[in-house]
Amino acid sequence: MSIEENHFSDKVIVTNILNGNIQDFAFVVKNTEKLVAQIVGKLTTNEDDRKDLVQDIYLKVYQNLYSFQFKSKLSTWVANIAYNTTINYLQKKKIPIIEIAETIEDKYKLSENPELITIKTEAVGILNDELAKLPPLYKTLITLYHLEELPNKEISEITNLPEGTIKSYLYRARKILKDNINHHYKNEQL
Amino acid sequence: MKSTHLTDEMLQAFLLKEIANDSIDKHLTECSVCRAKLESYQYLIGSMQKITPETFSFDVTTIVMNNISLYEKKKSKKQELTFWGILIFLLIAISSFSIPFIPNILEVFYLKSIIPTQLLLGTGVVVLLFLWIDIIQQYKKKEKKIFNNNLQPIL
Repeated sequence: MSIEENHFSDKVIVTNILNGNIQDFAFVVKNTEKLVAQIVGKLTTNEDDRKDLVQDIYLKVYQNLYSFQFKSKLSTWVANIAYNTTINYLQKKKIPIIEIAETIEDKYKLSENPELITIKTEAVGILNDELAKLPPLYKTLITLYHLEELPNKEISEITNLPEGTIKSYLYRARKILKDNINHHYKNEQL
Repeated sequence: MKSTHLTDEMLQAFLLKEIANDSIDKHLTECSVCRAKLESYQYLIGSMQKITPETFSFDVTTIVMNNISLYEKKKSKKQELTFWGILIFLLIAISSFSIPFIPNILEVFYLKSIIPTQLLLGTGVVVLLFLWIDIIQQYKKKEKKIFNNNLQPIL
């Protein structure tokens, strides 16, 4: 769908909701649920917290729909609310969103060329495990960039982070993942 | 083997086509360490696209729509309470200010001629009827809107 078509359908849905057709809000939920799941799911682990957060996020979207300026896609705006709400929740619970206690590269001095280790077919499973160990923000950025295939500009609109910072976090996250996966295989070979 | 290797950032950027540089290309053909690193990143990025996306274990639409329905009910109850509060306040205020004028108003009904009395009463009844019909029409319109907009999600 082109940007113009996206904006047109967003306008139709938002206008309908603001005119009192509340059931049209279900379209907003259906269209953005996947993206919200990536953000909330990667930033939090507790199922009850996720349920509360989702309700909180969509209630905020509903209450503030009148202020949506159509400067971005509706899904990006909803994702931004989802991100901010979840970050506030993490801050309230004093859960760090970037720091990690100890990266594998700090913990072990990797051999000169660990990349030569053969990568096996169960890599996706291992990658899932290693991805889960990443700090919440890195996990979210990796998911938005590689799974949702969003451009850096859109990720920047969602997270309110400068594009340069996003790039640098993504580089670091990929490096941690690569080193951890290599370390995993190295341990398996021993 | 080269003594200086490409940085991880350079390798990732090269792989994601964020930079294109002949010297990087040349280095990669000569350096097996950087080539191996690049292959690792290539595999990592390829595998990342195969990860199962995160999903919620609950029906988001139903939960959200129920929550919004509840919010709307609370909101309309609050609005109703505010409306009645203001109405009662206005009635009390108007009544209090009207007390000194009550004898003057009553005097109108004690006039010797019956025509002005009937005229006044007739106008009053017509205005009341008009208001009553208008209220009924408004009520029916709102009832129809609520019926059409029964807050059920379209699935």
